[in-house]
Amino acid sequence: MQQTQRRIIYLLILMLSFGWIFVSADQSGASTSGKIPAPQQGFLAPDVELKTPKGETVKLSDLRGQAVLVNLWATWCSPCRAEMQTIETVYYEYKAQGFTVLAVNMTYQDDPIKIMPFVSENGLTFPTLLDETGEIANAYQLKSLPSSYFINREGIITEVVIGGPMSEALLRTRIEEILK
Amino acid sequence: MITLFRSLFAPPRHLVLLLAALWLGLYLSEKRVERQGISKDSLNNIVFYSILGYIIGGRLLFALTNLSAFTQSPLSVFSINIDLFDPIGALVIAILVGFVYGQRQNLPFWSTLDALAPLFAVLAMGLSISHLAAGTAFGSPTTLPWGIHLWNATRHPSQVYELITSLLVFGLIWFRKGDSPAGSDFLLFVALTAGAHVFLEAFRGDSTLIFGGIRFAQLIAWIVLAFALFTSEVIRRQEIVS
Repeated sequence: MQQTQRRIIYLLILMLSFGWIFVSADQSGASTSGKIPAPQQGFLAPDVELKTPKGETVKLSDLRGQAVLVNLWATWCSPCRAEMQTIETVYYEYKAQGFTVLAVNMTYQDDPIKIMPFVSENGLTFPTLLDETGEIANAYQLKSLPSSYFINREGIITEVVIGGPMSEALLRTRIEEILK
Repeated sequence: MITLFRSLFAPPRHLVLLLAALWLGLYLSEKRVERQGISKDSLNNIVFYSILGYIIGGRLLFALTNLSAFTQSPLSVFSINIDLFDPIGALVIAILVGFVYGQRQNLPFWSTLDALAPLFAVLAMGLSISHLAAGTAFGSPTTLPWGIHLWNATRHPSQVYELITSLLVFGLIWFRKGDSPAGSDFLLFVALTAGAHVFLEAFRGDSTLIFGGIRFAQLIAWIVLAFALFTSEVIRRQEIVS
């Protein structure tokens, strides 16, 4: 190919692709994924309405305005057990700033007798919720335990952490982000 | 089928796909490397040190930018959490490490990049497959018949689009014939990948928007495309002069 021909083609490619950037600009807000509830970063967190072992109902959408960590766990899952103490430490430290934890136990695949002894042995003070039917596991498309969802004050998931145990630094950086 | 695939390689298992792509890409680059006058050992070393730089640099930069969190729990620097990572900083460190290693070993700059082009092209394929597995880099909602159900909507299969284009880019580099100046394979890879990104970003549902709904990633990809085309002209002219 001649040098001049090649340069004209390059110029044409650059002009067309530059035009495409403006033609394909997102005017409709198709990129605003936060409008639809889904368990993914950038989306509105699917609502959680479950009972605590004491029978009290807790609803995630009622906590709007607070920064929330939704942690899906089970007593048989060793990384879940390993990260609970660290979650308790940061919960205690940040709760005054508007941070809360919803520890959703996957009761439908756990031994219900073991849940409360685990909570009291570890001195966990944040709300523990029971997913007895797998409704929340389904809504959050659970594939691995533990799964953690960091939700900002607007109810948007800003970070999903699959697997664990989460380190203290990871929890601190993510919590400070959702508290902003 | 996509649902089964996504279950099998759900995060963090999707990283296996990236590792497989790294292995395959390195194997293919090794097959071509001697054509560039570079030894297999040099190629493996540059990749090894760059990966090391990527891993260590990514973690250290993350720790430095979140110093207060790490001063309260310094041992977290050694945590196995892959989320404690600065991917862009890691990439910069990996490039720097590769560049310094290449300079110290007197490796020819453009020929080394040409030798690495198949690896980069296979990594791009691996990245798109891992995006599909993790459900990241997802498409915008669509009513087209080939839309996939993801994150509670029928969406453009943006990861599949990415995979198809990266396969084409790999094919064009791998089966390319004829004498071209050193650096041509690499610059072809960069130009085609950036061009594909400018086009495909329009179907993404997670773009970062700037003024007037312009997608930031498209603008960056266009600058990279312009740079690759300009540089390919420069190396052609240098070859004619020499």
